[in-house]
Amino acid sequence: MNVKRERLQVIFDILRAIQDKNGKIKPTHIMYKANLSYTMLDEYLKELAGKGFITSEETKEGKFFSLSQKGFDYIHKYKYVIDFAVSFGLSE
Amino acid sequence: MYIFNAPEWFIGYDIGLELAFAVVALIVSWHAFKVYKITGQSPTKIFGISFLFISISYFLQSFLNYSIVSNLNQSICLALQLNNLIFLNTIEFYVHMVLFLLGLITLTYMTLKIKSKKTYVLLVIAIFTSTFLSSSQHYSFYFISSTLLIYIAMHYLINYLRHRQAKTLLVLFAFILLLFGSIHYFFAVNHSLFYAISHILELIAYILILINLILVTRK
Repeated sequence: MNVKRERLQVIFDILRAIQDKNGKIKPTHIMYKANLSYTMLDEYLKELAGKGFITSEETKEGKFFSLSQKGFDYIHKYKYVIDFAVSFGLSE
Repeated sequence: MYIFNAPEWFIGYDIGLELAFAVVALIVSWHAFKVYKITGQSPTKIFGISFLFISISYFLQSFLNYSIVSNLNQSICLALQLNNLIFLNTIEFYVHMVLFLLGLITLTYMTLKIKSKKTYVLLVIAIFTSTFLSSSQHYSFYFISSTLLIYIAMHYLINYLRHRQAKTLLVLFAFILLLFGSIHYFFAVNHSLFYAISHILELIAYILILINLILVTRK
């Protein structure tokens, strides 16, 4: 259960890092903000893009990632779950 | 017992308040099951079940109290009316007591953070046996409810100290008020004003829970 929660937290950190940068960010910035190694970040980004949480865009300045509606929904749902669990004393 | 405890001026308002408590408890339960569907964590499911019990207990209490008031207003044979009132009153007390205690026991079990059906069954048996075998079931019910609420409030105090957020403080205050409400019911057996005070304390508690839910669900 802990492993699963940590994973969900990492996904939340990545998506929130993108949201904090007005929905568009370079992968290196995500790496610092979400505190992940390059390999780990690459795996997560591929998975998130594959599942439609984020979209990538190649520009002259490099690769950028943006949040999709599904990504925004995930952030809201995650915050809702955490806030509910913490406020009602359900978190471990 | 309702007709002997409630002050005359408060009859009717209490029915509305009990219905409001039932609705708030049902909303909490619905959100808990929604969170459980996402996370699959059992404490959330247990929390949802406990509030579902509490909600049903208030719904039935409100409905049966409404039936009692309706009976009071009917101009039928006095002896028959009294018979009906005593019967409805007894049903109201036992139905509310059983479901409300089940709700509190389930909530207490959730705070233990253990997975043991045996412990849960033991809690249910011990609490129901001591309540039903008591010579004064009313006092016993309110005493046990207050004891369980002390334990639950302690859980929320620890939760607040761990997280120190406005939301955890709201829930802590809500359960402290529910505890005070329960203690006031204890005195309502002899002084009807305490019955009204208990309802008002519970109302504030459920408003705080509702505010917390609004804060949790807003985008």
